[in-house]
Amino acid sequence: MSDPTPLLSLRGIGKAYGPVVAVREVDLDIFPGEVVAICGDNGAGKSSLIKVISGAEEPTAGAMSMRGKPVSFASPHDALEQGVATIYQDLALAPRLSIAQNVFMGSELTRPVLLPFLRILDKKRMISESQRYLSQLSAAVTDMTRPVERLSGGQRQAVAISRALRWNAEIIIMDEPTAALGVKESALVLDLIRKLKADRRTVILISHNMRDVVALADRVVIMGAGRKYVDRPVGDLTADDIAHMIMAGNAKAA
Amino acid sequence: MSRIDARSLIGHYGTALAGLALILFFLIFAPNFASTTNIVNVLKDTSFLAILALGFALAFTVAELDLSIAEMASLAAVVCGWMVHAQYPPAVAVAAALGVGVVLGGLNGYGVTVLRIPSLIMTLGTAAIAKGLAFMITQGVAFVGRWPVGFTGLARGYTFGIPNLVLWMTAATLFAWGLVKWTRTGAHMVATGEADEAARLAGIATARMKRIGLLLSGVFAGLMAALLAANLSSAAPNMAGDYLLYAIAAVLLGMTMFEPGKPNIPGTVFAALVLKVLGNGLVLLGAPYYIQDIVLGVIIIGSVAFSASAMKKAAFKV
Repeated sequence: MSDPTPLLSLRGIGKAYGPVVAVREVDLDIFPGEVVAICGDNGAGKSSLIKVISGAEEPTAGAMSMRGKPVSFASPHDALEQGVATIYQDLALAPRLSIAQNVFMGSELTRPVLLPFLRILDKKRMISESQRYLSQLSAAVTDMTRPVERLSGGQRQAVAISRALRWNAEIIIMDEPTAALGVKESALVLDLIRKLKADRRTVILISHNMRDVVALADRVVIMGAGRKYVDRPVGDLTADDIAHMIMAGNAKAA
Repeated sequence: MSRIDARSLIGHYGTALAGLALILFFLIFAPNFASTTNIVNVLKDTSFLAILALGFALAFTVAELDLSIAEMASLAAVVCGWMVHAQYPPAVAVAAALGVGVVLGGLNGYGVTVLRIPSLIMTLGTAAIAKGLAFMITQGVAFVGRWPVGFTGLARGYTFGIPNLVLWMTAATLFAWGLVKWTRTGAHMVATGEADEAARLAGIATARMKRIGLLLSGVFAGLMAALLAANLSSAAPNMAGDYLLYAIAAVLLGMTMFEPGKPNIPGTVFAALVLKVLGNGLVLLGAPYYIQDIVLGVIIIGSVAFSASAMKKAAFKV
């Protein structure tokens, strides 16, 4: 890691739902341009941790900072405005709306009409900009007015990522991006993540697929029983090694 | 624009063309249908229905059902008539009608977004309250009288040879269409209606959009009510009750046109015209009155079935 200041830094983060503690005292630093995989079995606390980072839920303990400045996200939108975008598996897109409508959802472009203060949607520019984002990701889609429901799973991910690019997100959180996809589509999504990395974006990847983790991540963080107990460069770890570490963590927790 | 093929052409314009064919059929075969008086009457009738249905369509755009439109309109008409009766200027009376829409539409929005009551239930409750209030104000009788032309002219007058009612309908249509298609608020309303959770995650104030949709539904009901009272020179506590099913039918039939499966403004207005032409034509052809209700029911069910099949899946959800 050439850059010594972490982009995002968590200190002592905890998340409790009433008496149930899902995340305990997690310290985590994310550096610019890294791909960090967060792994762990179901119930290990990785989803809860991600919800805190993405602004979906507020932590019950600890503090977060970005580029050294303290931050707190009251909503996913808050996080988005600070440059942390989350690509949710199923929830992020409106299937019947067009690609352009989805990319610019919540941040539509407008142009003045007749009077300077009277602004209407700039549909042409939203279409051309969407096109630009998607070709940046080398996604082979040409018609930006097509409804998202007619796209393949991989193409939908590209649309969701385009929205993150539209927000100029520095950190892109991807929750199980290949879980629902076939082999070919998964390969497309892995390529998308490589493109983001080449573009110096920071990616936090939650995945059950150890081969994806080994193929893409610079660093792997393993959670178990709400705690972070592995945080190391992927290096020459194999998918099996990571799977074993996850199981070891479960054994420790039990 | 997406590829145009025969199937999508039928999906987009099939029922609109059928409606057009229906209008032509009555023009040729229904006695007196083509007379100027009758056509103007049909257009005026259409205006009331279209304005009310546009409100329902806007609420439906944010995926909420507003079943209180007709009773809100009845109450607004009664309040409006009361004001006219008490010699308030027409502008005040109209503002009062719109105010009823704002208050009840606002109440619906509050109930749905803050109290989290499903709109189906919330608006039924509001409808019952509005109905009761309307009867309370009138004590069961209607306000009738020789009302000032300044008020009745809003509906009965003509501007540049065009019936004022038709102008009101045009203005309401342009407003709704411009809002939904060309403003950020409209885009946010559509996103909220299409995918509530996705819209929220994208930073859209979905609860506010739902409140706006329901509020506008009330305002459109208020406008329709003022025009209805002006046209009839009277206000009765049950005067708009029959419009509910027609308005729902107009929106659902409209959803089979232009943008299949989505509540849309041009479809709603054209469907309102088709429904009124159908009703008028059937009467002129001598069909018994009860046929209209049966036809209306068939259209409501058929429209939803058509939309669902046009979308090739049961994406139609309330």
